[in-house]
Amino acid sequence: MRRPLIRIENLWRVYTNGAVEVPALRGVSIVIEQGEFVAVMGASGSGKSTFLNILGFLDRPTRGRYLFRGRDVTALSADERAEIRNREIGFVFQSFNLLPRATVVENVELPLFYGPLPYAEQRPRALAALAALGLSDRAFSYPNQLSGGQQQRVAIARALVTEPSLLLADEPTGNLDSVAGKELMELLVRLNVQQGLTVVLVTHEPDIAAYAQRVVHFRDGLIVSDQPRGVHP
Amino acid sequence: MKLFRMTLRAALVALRRNKLRSALTMLGIIIGVAAVVAMVSIGQGATAAVQAQIRSLGTNLLMVIPGATTAAGARSGWGGVSTLTVGDARAIERECSAVAAVTYLRRQVVQVVHADQNWSTVAQGTTSTFPVVREWNVARGRFFTAQEEEGAARVAVIGQTVVDQLFGVGQDPIGAIIRVRNVAFEVIGVLEAKGQTTWGQDQDDVLVLPFSTAEKRVFGTQLFNVVDMIFVSARSTADIPEAAKQIRALLRQRHRIPTGEDDDFTVRSLDDMARASETASRVMTNLLFAVASISLIVGGIGIMNIMLVSVTERTREIGLRMAVGAKPRHVLLQFLTEAVVLSAVGGGIGALVGIIGSLLIAHLGGWPTLLSPVAVAGALLFSAAVGIFFGYYPSWKASRLEPIAALRYE
Ligand SMILES: Nc1ncnc2c1ncn2[C@@H]1O[C@H](COP(=O)(O)OP(=O)(O)O)[C@@H](O)[C@H]1O
Ligand SMILES: [Mg+2]
Repeated sequence: MRRPLIRIENLWRVYTNGAVEVPALRGVSIVIEQGEFVAVMGASGSGKSTFLNILGFLDRPTRGRYLFRGRDVTALSADERAEIRNREIGFVFQSFNLLPRATVVENVELPLFYGPLPYAEQRPRALAALAALGLSDRAFSYPNQLSGGQQQRVAIARALVTEPSLLLADEPTGNLDSVAGKELMELLVRLNVQQGLTVVLVTHEPDIAAYAQRVVHFRDGLIVSDQPRGVHP
Repeated sequence: MKLFRMTLRAALVALRRNKLRSALTMLGIIIGVAAVVAMVSIGQGATAAVQAQIRSLGTNLLMVIPGATTAAGARSGWGGVSTLTVGDARAIERECSAVAAVTYLRRQVVQVVHADQNWSTVAQGTTSTFPVVREWNVARGRFFTAQEEEGAARVAVIGQTVVDQLFGVGQDPIGAIIRVRNVAFEVIGVLEAKGQTTWGQDQDDVLVLPFSTAEKRVFGTQLFNVVDMIFVSARSTADIPEAAKQIRALLRQRHRIPTGEDDDFTVRSLDDMARASETASRVMTNLLFAVASISLIVGGIGIMNIMLVSVTERTREIGLRMAVGAKPRHVLLQFLTEAVVLSAVGGGIGALVGIIGSLLIAHLGGWPTLLSPVAVAGALLFSAAVGIFFGYYPSWKASRLEPIAALRYE
């Protein structure tokens, strides 16, 4: 049996807006194995992004246990969480989040800057990551000179340049047309199958979720269904 | 070390991406540092020039002038007839043991005529010891002798400016006849050129006549034996205070001033003058420095302002950097480095502008300036400190953000 990459038990996240408390997650428990491709679905406001942000160490749970590779990570320091984000996790956002005044390759280099790779090897590594996604010819363009699909592939190159084990994507196809969205999903599936990359992807489109092996449904901060699919379509 | 190099590189990249804003932010520091460097060099140049000027009047020199001096240095009781006489001067020479030589003078503005040229200048009636006491010799010809002075000879020694005004190029003034108030004088010497004083007075615009001749034939006064100023040279620099004391005692006695009453004259040594002017110019230098420092601080606040704006504007960028693995100290260092680079580069350019500026001021304005390496280094260090001081708060603020809060920031 594989050791679970992620084990979450009774996770709560309560936002406090002044005196008002908004519980975004109300006791979520889930186990995600290495190499899984999980789609997280649910209505807007059901807590999908909150869940993903906690998975990716961008946010901290109010209560509950989060074991990453068997290690309890709820009490890690800011520096330790930064290191895990850098080495283990790649993030892809709906709005791409590329630095507009940096070139494509500079954007991809960004995570290496905070990692252990020597400076001389950073540029070649970033260019290799771009090449793997067919973006070699756009390395020295600026993000605004690229199409949405290309920008999202740059964001994926940036997420993968440190060779993480977990890719988290929050509605990555939300700003893309259906053709670009389809290409992106095929790319993620390929990475999942060929490289064993664990993917957790938030979407509210069933077409997109259909690429995943497993679909988790959220409603009002709780997981209401968790269906394994077994095979890719 | 690697972290430092990479942070510096990232800061430079970030600053280059915002060229205009970086330049405008630096402008504040540039102006501040340039102002400090230029102001201090002007202040120190003026100080040095005044000192040199005073020293050039003659070493071991003491001046006796009519009228009392208050503690603050202002003269009172001035404006009436001079209380000093030729007798006073001679008595000083005769009776004060610490005194080596004495000269005195009386002056008036006169019109000098040579051929068809005429020029208005200051006529000084003085004694043959003038060159010795004032350490001011003739460049050509000779000074008049004691016999000539006693015999009221009609001879004159003139300054370079008077030569230039009355004589054409190549015309030899020595032996020429000039007329002063219709009295003919033979020019027997030309004084060494001294140039302008720092307060803008042309020292070479002068006509030197034997005292007796000037008194009897030129000044047309009924008050004989009255002098405007007595110059005394002490035996040595160490004798200056003793000479001053002796002169004061002698003159009080000669002028019959009862104990407890103020002197009706003032004895001043060049040393006093040098010290007074040094104090005055140090005050000026400090004032200039203070004003310039304020502009540096204003520049620093400019940096803080821009860094705060930059942190707010780049909150999403900070969030993204954190999402890909930046630690709080990376973020802190990044913004701090940006601030320090801004102020250090601004400081460097400012120092350069200040140096060039003070050279230009010296060259074009004719002001004496003295570049001070201490001021340049101080301004540079201060501007880097300004960068750290004013850059720290915004940077710290940025580093404290939660990644997701920063990413979501609109
Ligand atoms: N920073 C926040 N402060 C307060 N409430 C928040 C914050 N972020 C999200 N929420 C609330 O938490 C709930 C879940 O949000 P989210 O996880 O973004 O949902 P989803 O991604 O499924 O649309 C929503 O009700 C939302 O309004
Ligand atoms: Mg969401």
